[in-house]
Amino acid sequence: MNVTLYKQMMKVYMKSFMNYAFGSAFYIILMFWLYPSIANNTKAIDEMVASMPEGVGKAFGLNGFGSAEAFISGEYYGLILVLILSIVCVQLSTQLMAKLVDQGSMAYLLSTPTTRGKVAFTQASVLTTGLFLIMAVTSIAGLAGNAWFLGDQYEFDTSRFIQMNTAAFLLFFALGGICFLVSALSNDEKKALSISGMITFGFFSLDLLGKISEKIEWMKYISIFTLYKPGEIVNGHGNWVVTSISLSLIGLASFSLAIVLFRKRDLPL
Amino acid sequence: MLTVEHLTKTFSNGKGIFDVSFTVKEGEVFGFLGPNGAGKSTTIRHIMGFMKPDKGYVKINGLDTWKEQGKVQSYVGYLPGEISFFDGMTGKTFLDFMANMQGMKDLGKRTSLIDRLQFDIHTPIRKMSKGMKQKVGIVATFMHDPAVIILDEPTSGLDPLMQKVFIEIVLEEKSRGKTFLMSSHSFPEIERTCDRAAIIKDGVIIAVKDIHELQSMQRKLFEVTFANQSDAKSFIESGLLIESHEGNRVSVAVQGNYDKFVEETAKYKIHNINIFTQNLEDIFMNYYDREATIS
Repeated sequence: MNVTLYKQMMKVYMKSFMNYAFGSAFYIILMFWLYPSIANNTKAIDEMVASMPEGVGKAFGLNGFGSAEAFISGEYYGLILVLILSIVCVQLSTQLMAKLVDQGSMAYLLSTPTTRGKVAFTQASVLTTGLFLIMAVTSIAGLAGNAWFLGDQYEFDTSRFIQMNTAAFLLFFALGGICFLVSALSNDEKKALSISGMITFGFFSLDLLGKISEKIEWMKYISIFTLYKPGEIVNGHGNWVVTSISLSLIGLASFSLAIVLFRKRDLPL
Repeated sequence: MLTVEHLTKTFSNGKGIFDVSFTVKEGEVFGFLGPNGAGKSTTIRHIMGFMKPDKGYVKINGLDTWKEQGKVQSYVGYLPGEISFFDGMTGKTFLDFMANMQGMKDLGKRTSLIDRLQFDIHTPIRKMSKGMKQKVGIVATFMHDPAVIILDEPTSGLDPLMQKVFIEIVLEEKSRGKTFLMSSHSFPEIERTCDRAAIIKDGVIIAVKDIHELQSMQRKLFEVTFANQSDAKSFIESGLLIESHEGNRVSVAVQGNYDKFVEETAKYKIHNINIFTQNLEDIFMNYYDREATIS
């Protein structure tokens, strides 16, 4: 870890972290604000969801509207948040490694008394910090939204809400690790961006397709998104501990591999 | 101080550098000459530890630059050939950042360099011209007072006045016992600063020569305009190497034998003498030709 580099990178990226974090916070508060008006018509909406083809509801995690966290898990954690953070992972991981190599500014970092291992580790920490900040602000906004708009009138299970947020963070820690690995091995910024983008989008689509149809259910097991089931967490189903550990391990393995391989490869600087 | 031993690296397209060896002594300025694509940058990448050699090694101050990453750099100042900085920085924030990365405390040298190169450090880097960026890079290279300085095409983009200032800085640092490796296309730059130079072509070191030897290899073309056409005629008979003549203008190629040239021209009334220096590529071509005839 190189503290100077970490501070500098955080300074550069703080603004975009905060933009994403506040965007996400704003959206989740909007969801909480909407919930009371929906909760009063829960039955009608549940019927409407039930009338849709079974696969569609499952694919987008529509999860019934009986409790606030079920509503949020379906409406926000199932799709919007995933999209926002996927974009962050793909873009940021590319900018933190491949871009510096492609542009040549990595030469300046490596001409100072630091090692490649430290540089890569620092950049990985910046990515992780960014994801953590966005998720933390989102969680806090969620808790605040609950206290503000719902109070005691509506059901809300705080610990499950936090579990769901942890799972989301770990999913993006793992995905960020994979994108970071791609980025650390690329000499070309555009190539890194398109490969990570394809992997992320591929995972996302496989998961979606696998959930829509039983026949191609196997597809979703190729995707790491399968380890993230916000709907099941809020319903108390599923094995939260196992999926969380798996995601952490995938993330740690990818980041470590990225650092090890970056130390050994030839850089065209 | 800097040793390159049997350095070999073959790329997948068959190009690369092959068995490159040379040593730069402490306090020496060593030039590294060669046409584009000859392997100068590849060698410098190995010296900086950006690439892993297939065979051989580079040592600076006794430390292997590939294996001892993180230690070697504290002795080294590096000016990349292609300057690119981080986004969203001004000259000052970049230099502050680099000073922190170097663990520098004394900023006196930095301030004096900025004064000499005369540029506004508060300009955002993306708005700087190529020459301005080059100046920022030069400050970053010298400010931590490194013992070994690696310069990749250092004066590209600088105006002639600043090139002169830069050469002064190099000579001062040299007199303080600093070691330099400088790659270049530009012979005058190498000529004024270097003690020795290596010539590289197609990834192979062709020669390591004293700079005076290289100077004598450089051919100069003098275009002499005589007052009388008859003088031009008899001048042509003098045995000097005549490239072309037209009326009372004669072009003479001179390589080392300046005495003879001066002697011959002094015999006549001269209107004008123009001088054309041969560029590096031509020196190389000459050199290769001669090598070929010897072997």
